[in-house]
Amino acid sequence: MKKIEIGHGGGGRLTRDLIQEVFLKHLKGDHLHALEDAATLSLKCDQIAMTTDSYVVHPLFFPGGNIGTLAICGTVNDLAVSGAIPQYISLGLILEEGLPLDTLEQIIMSISEAARDAGVQIVTGDTKVVEKGKGDGIYINTTGIGSIVRRMSAENIESGDVIICTGTLGDHGTAIALAREEFPVESELTSDCAALNKMLEPLFKIDGIRWMRDPTRGGAATVMVELADASGLGIQLFEDSIPLRNDVRFITEMLGFDPLYLANEGKAIIAVSESCSVEVLRMLHNNPLGVNACVIGKVTSDFKGVRLRTVIGGERSLIMAEEETLPRIC
Amino acid sequence: MKSSEQLIKIIHSLVPAEKKIKIMNVCGSHEHTIAFSGIRSILPANLEIIPGPGCPVCVCSESDIINAINLSNNPDVILVTYGDMLRVPTRQGSIRADGTSYKMITSPMEAISIAKKNPEKSVVFFSIGFETTTAPTAAILQMGLPDNLFILSSHKLTPVIMELLVKDTTIAIDGFIAPGHVSAIVGANAWKVFPEKYGIPIVVAGFEAENLLMGLIEILSQLRDGLARAGNVYKQVVRPEGNAHAQGIINKFFKVADINWRGIGHVPESGLQLRDEYARHNANVEFNLQPIKEEKIPGCICGNIILGKAYPSACGLFKTQCSPRTPQGPCMVSMEGACNIWYRTSSE
Repeated sequence: MKKIEIGHGGGGRLTRDLIQEVFLKHLKGDHLHALEDAATLSLKCDQIAMTTDSYVVHPLFFPGGNIGTLAICGTVNDLAVSGAIPQYISLGLILEEGLPLDTLEQIIMSISEAARDAGVQIVTGDTKVVEKGKGDGIYINTTGIGSIVRRMSAENIESGDVIICTGTLGDHGTAIALAREEFPVESELTSDCAALNKMLEPLFKIDGIRWMRDPTRGGAATVMVELADASGLGIQLFEDSIPLRNDVRFITEMLGFDPLYLANEGKAIIAVSESCSVEVLRMLHNNPLGVNACVIGKVTSDFKGVRLRTVIGGERSLIMAEEETLPRIC
Repeated sequence: MKSSEQLIKIIHSLVPAEKKIKIMNVCGSHEHTIAFSGIRSILPANLEIIPGPGCPVCVCSESDIINAINLSNNPDVILVTYGDMLRVPTRQGSIRADGTSYKMITSPMEAISIAKKNPEKSVVFFSIGFETTTAPTAAILQMGLPDNLFILSSHKLTPVIMELLVKDTTIAIDGFIAPGHVSAIVGANAWKVFPEKYGIPIVVAGFEAENLLMGLIEILSQLRDGLARAGNVYKQVVRPEGNAHAQGIINKFFKVADINWRGIGHVPESGLQLRDEYARHNANVEFNLQPIKEEKIPGCICGNIILGKAYPSACGLFKTQCSPRTPQGPCMVSMEGACNIWYRTSSE
């Protein structure tokens, strides 16, 4: 079995071979094949959105995806919820000496597939290798650029706006927890890892769209607290409206996790004017990734912060995640 | 079964407007359900539900924890204990921050395997908690311990400390929700002392919000009718006589002893120590451990919170210097600690 050697990051012949035999074999596009030091790009827009994210998920492969799919979808989603059309992505790899080449190739194939599905191009990349024992197989950094078509901001939200969630919460966090095999539970649950740009782009045309966010680390609760803090308004969430898969409900209860604080990798939370909420839900329901979209709360000026109306009709506050429930989730 | 909405209506009808009623829960998991379901927010304002000494981590004495830190710094020892215990602050730091050789376990069985894997070391199991965690420790004693495994027992008896609270007139408890897990071991009948000797209603409840509401209804009905009984709305799990096997093995290996409670102090006959026949595995004997006088943490009111004399929000450190990430007192450490739960759920 061929493995990554220190020389694969040396910039010499081994690096060149790796680029030809693995990266260029699977990653198509003129920019990358030119093998220049920098990609020359053009964007026709007034404003661009740029984002960067590093991926250190453990384990590298999990039900529903791997570190490669995550590295594309995560960065695409950060651009999409910023009102941008994602276009170009960079790919930085830190490989650990000894990583099987087959594993790397599988991850690169997933990257290629995820990029194609999301309609983004990988235009530049870099590979470094660290000694055995000083990494964990592979770490990935992706930076993404997109053209902004719709400006959104927490300052836009108003009392009376509704909060929409595009699907079930906590799937990714729970799937990763199970994939670590620390818990003796078997389940068919998979990560929700998916690129949301194709689902969200049609919504940019709707006037009443105020704000969007993908609730990754810290989960939906943390994102809601951020919105409440940034807007100076209150957010009332309804526990009995929050979409949860039955297996996620059961497993999180057993493991003592709160699904509102678990990471999602294929969901968005959207603040929208009440008058546009029906249209937004209708459009989301037309996309396979949005079939479970529903209203989970509303914006209010009655209080500040986030409060959850519980299933028994009581109320409690939600705070920002204090400590990471599960480290290395993405 | 009635809906939670119906149960809440009944509760409102049972609480006279002019009367203040104070009901105490003595179980961290009950406090968790009460806070996370927002039960307090829908009760009449004159009905108080106060958390008492229900969090096993919170009541563990500073003396025992400092002895555990010192043991983990003994080069011949590996200290093993439950995760939350590693983070409880003392004036000498915490096991995690200031100990050297320690391991987290989730079950006493792991203490046996760690001892077997490390025959050249003495492994000390810092065994804490109420009747619920005493039973599994007794179970490994029943199986037989490796020669190099020792028990540092900080086990406590729930009914004894509850009696102490009843006698303190400044708390003035009108009724108790009895802890579900502890009751599964000791049995619903173990609480009869409260109605019979003190005229205080007590009801065993489970951990679903509806079940707790049913428990409250039972207590409030008794108060309305001027009765005091030991009730049980968690009959699917808790039997009147409890778990006779667990009681048997606890009694076989442990004897009642005086013990220190954090924030409360020395309480006669409220703890459990290994019987003299098993002194060979008693860490107190093996390492000649001496009690250390507890020092108050400046500004921390955990002692009053454990006694049900104050709510977490009354503490000057709450949400300022004290948070789950930077706990100043024991009640902020464990997910079952009142301060930790209130930090995550209260808008105060």
